[in-house]
Amino acid sequence: MKTALPTPPAHCTFEPEDWLRLAKCWHPVARACDIGAAPVKATLLDEQLVIYRVKGQVVVARDVCPHRGVPLTLGFHDEEGIVCPYHGLRFGEDGRCNRIPSSPDQPVPAKLNLLTFAVEERFGLIWTCLAFDAENPQPLPTMPHWDDEGFQQINCPAFEVNGFAGRQVEGFLDVAHFAWIHTDTFADANNQFVPDYSPQETEFGFIADYWSSVGNYPASSDYRAPEGFQWLRHFEMHLPFTATLTIHFPGEARLVIMNAASPVSSRVTRMFAPIARNFDLHIPIEEVHAFNLRVFEEDRLMVETQRPERLPLDLTLEAHIPADRSSIAYRRGLKKMGFGEFFLV
Amino acid sequence: MNDVLKVVVDGLWRQGDKNLAVRLVSANGEPLPGWQPGAHIDVHLPCGLIRQYSLTGESTTESYLICVAQESASRGGSRYIHQTLRPGQTLTISAPRNLFALRDDGPVLLLAAGIGITPLYAMLLQREATGTPFTLHYFVKRREEAAFARELSHSLKHGVCLIHCSSEGKSPRQTLAATIPAPGDGERIYTCGPAGFMAAVRDVAAAKGWPEAQIHSEAFAPAAPVAASQQEETFTITLASSGEKWPVPANKSIAQVLQDNGVAVPLSCEMGICGACLTPVLDGVVDHRDTVQSAAEKTAATQHIALCCSRSHSRVLVIDL
Ligand code: FES
Ligand code: FES
Ligand SMILES: [Fe+2]
Repeated sequence: MKTALPTPPAHCTFEPEDWLRLAKCWHPVARACDIGAAPVKATLLDEQLVIYRVKGQVVVARDVCPHRGVPLTLGFHDEEGIVCPYHGLRFGEDGRCNRIPSSPDQPVPAKLNLLTFAVEERFGLIWTCLAFDAENPQPLPTMPHWDDEGFQQINCPAFEVNGFAGRQVEGFLDVAHFAWIHTDTFADANNQFVPDYSPQETEFGFIADYWSSVGNYPASSDYRAPEGFQWLRHFEMHLPFTATLTIHFPGEARLVIMNAASPVSSRVTRMFAPIARNFDLHIPIEEVHAFNLRVFEEDRLMVETQRPERLPLDLTLEAHIPADRSSIAYRRGLKKMGFGEFFLV
Repeated sequence: MNDVLKVVVDGLWRQGDKNLAVRLVSANGEPLPGWQPGAHIDVHLPCGLIRQYSLTGESTTESYLICVAQESASRGGSRYIHQTLRPGQTLTISAPRNLFALRDDGPVLLLAAGIGITPLYAMLLQREATGTPFTLHYFVKRREEAAFARELSHSLKHGVCLIHCSSEGKSPRQTLAATIPAPGDGERIYTCGPAGFMAAVRDVAAAKGWPEAQIHSEAFAPAAPVAASQQEETFTITLASSGEKWPVPANKSIAQVLQDNGVAVPLSCEMGICGACLTPVLDGVVDHRDTVQSAAEKTAATQHIALCCSRSHSRVLVIDL
């Protein structure tokens, strides 16, 4: 497969070194169920992408026709690939040009192939890596229980936030804001205390086990946990932008939410949220989508108005409280990966 | 002074069906440092991990006893001890530290869950030896899994021990409310076990009117603000750039001393949790008091010190400022 040269796109909103570090990681760009033969547009790290499926294979490529630069997402598709609307060049498996209508009998030069990127399909998402290094491949994030028997797999529609992925992910890890922001969905305004917890470093980031009496049944539900029940929230952070949260409900009931933040640019984030659960299987998935959307929506105003928009990795630039141990571990992890002090422009 | 001790694994044996007791003796035949129930040691495992374990059994200087549960979600420490550790093997450990000492001789209620029995078993033995009354409630999932079950079933002269099994319908959730009475005069609770268990103990006890200050739980890595209470020693902090040096007295942090002398120190949380003040150390042995660095970082060849809370084991500490 032909891979793109890892150079930041024009008008990139990241520092070039940070961009390159991010380009080496896997990021989700679409739900697998949204990708068929027709070209779909996505933006990752300021790079415009076209995604399509041909003969069962998913192709992610720069959304630029190599002929005269028209975006392929303006085109259409047939059995053999996607067709550029300007002069009809068609691109099939591995982004290879397989038809030049104006000179059908000529061999197709390699220069006419699309610039494609590495692709993986997992957790119902299409993941791509803009600067895949076969010598030193980065691992994809993992998700507890996704493939376990008895677990239902749900994928919420993508959800866009006008904020930086790092700020959004840090919010997902932040347990002190439940009682302030999420009281209409699951949290309790009278339960603000954050019991001590300590994140542990792992090779992919860190994990944190957080025990508290903050329940997780929707505020609308009739269910209540038994008196004195302690909820375990097990976080797994996969640097840079994917975290999973496994919530231990009473008994063996588990709810796993992946927060996969895709950095569209330094100021826009597309959120993907695969969910796995082994209870309430009769509840329509639309309700699960709606509930999760409401929870993410509650965070929106905070994430979109935080200043600076970027995530300060220099820990003296913001104040920290004991509830922030995960946020601190997150910033330390990013710093260790080599990201710039300010991460962003 | 560097608090590292060389010990030999003298024996390993089963304690209940999923725990392993490990007896450690000094490698050079000298007695080991004395300790009080509640103390723990850092065990440096050959696989590169450092784990904290409570000392248990009788408080002697002849040998140390720890007891390690087989953790299905082990991140390596428990697995190493269960699968690889063998009698005769040499290990490095720290001297005992105690963050969970019995405060006084008053009445105590000991509440253990799972492997949390280890420090409390030591407390129980000491209470038995000194003839001070106590009550121990020990929660396990299944009876077979209880550590020190045989020892605990021997008749106790000065206290009571009750084992509760979830498999027999006596889970902490169902039983704690009934086992924790209203606080007796001067009575203290000592509890150790999974975080959720200890949190439940605190909740139930609080509901019964126990003051927070009379409930003590094991915490291996507490946030350690400068605790001037113990007999802290003065040491000297030296700046590598200018060679300037100042004494750091017991009641001041390094950061305070530096600031008093006009040296800018990057600070944020001032309680050892954020890492803003981490500064490379060029010479000396750090007494790490922060909770932001991992055990691996605290034992790495290149050391960083949290200036807001850590101190020094050596008389002089040279930092890269
Ligand atoms: S610009 Fe696409 S075929 Fe010409
Ligand atoms: S200021 Fe936060 S660790 Fe020292
Ligand atoms: Fe939130």
